[in-house]
Amino acid sequence: MNSKQKYVIISALILLAAVLIWWLASGGEILSKDGIWVDQEISELDKALGLEPQKVYQEKFILGLLPHTAVISGIIVFVSAILFFIFKSKKTKEKK
Amino acid sequence: MKTIIKTSILLLVAVSMSFAQGFKVKASGEQTFNFEDKRNQVKFFSTTPLEDITGISNDVKGKVTLDVTDVKNMKGSIIISVASIKTAIDLRDEHLRSDNWLSADAYPEITFAVKNVGDVKVLEDNKIEAKVTGDFTVRGVTKETVAVVTLTYLDASEQTAQYAPGDLLGVQAKFNIALSNFEVENMVVGQKVADEIEITATLRGSNAK
Repeated sequence: MNSKQKYVIISALILLAAVLIWWLASGGEILSKDGIWVDQEISELDKALGLEPQKVYQEKFILGLLPHTAVISGIIVFVSAILFFIFKSKKTKEKK
Repeated sequence: MKTIIKTSILLLVAVSMSFAQGFKVKASGEQTFNFEDKRNQVKFFSTTPLEDITGISNDVKGKVTLDVTDVKNMKGSIIISVASIKTAIDLRDEHLRSDNWLSADAYPEITFAVKNVGDVKVLEDNKIEAKVTGDFTVRGVTKETVAVVTLTYLDASEQTAQYAPGDLLGVQAKFNIALSNFEVENMVVGQKVADEIEITATLRGSNAK
């Protein structure tokens, strides 16, 4: 393994770690979501009507492990693998 | 003699209890409540080890007629638009509307039609809890379902006018269904989606004409 290949592997690991942190910071959801349900504060009249608190839909994209993070990770691994082999073949050529 | 007195007292209590199955409010007689408030909500909840899913519809309409002093004669139905159910994932909403799930094009509505009311408990003068048996229809399949329902009656006032003119009826209902009973047999049922779905309805109706 030459220095360029090492650089590719380290870069790939850093990028994968960044994607993992990004996913965890986004809520660590398995599936990406297009919105969230937010608990609505119950009004006095709803209380008087014996009703329970409701939820309100809010549009908000939440990154999920599937499919977005998995696709990004896949691309990183794929590109890193290609670069790894490109640098390997260059080294082999140089030796020859 | 003691036995006769005891029996009479028990009978009186039983008779009085059997009559105390309505609201003690200003209104009287038969009242029809229309549920057209856009705040009305029906929630579907599925829980599996893999994922919890909440689906909510705010397109809920219906009509209920009841005798204020005897809710046992309540009749009516509640209708939910299948297309309006949101689960917070647009793609999943599309799947939900497809033929593999609820077939929204062929069966655009989910309905609950009240058949009878039992186990009536008067919680307060204007609040009653009861078990409401009704025909629940999903995907064109109808099954008898029992919902635990709390009904709260509010006479018209300045406060109730915030929502609608006339008297208001609050309905808080909960019941469970099995998807397999309604011919919703998808390969992910039991894995990502539970077969048993908890349904909660939060409704406000007005008797204004």
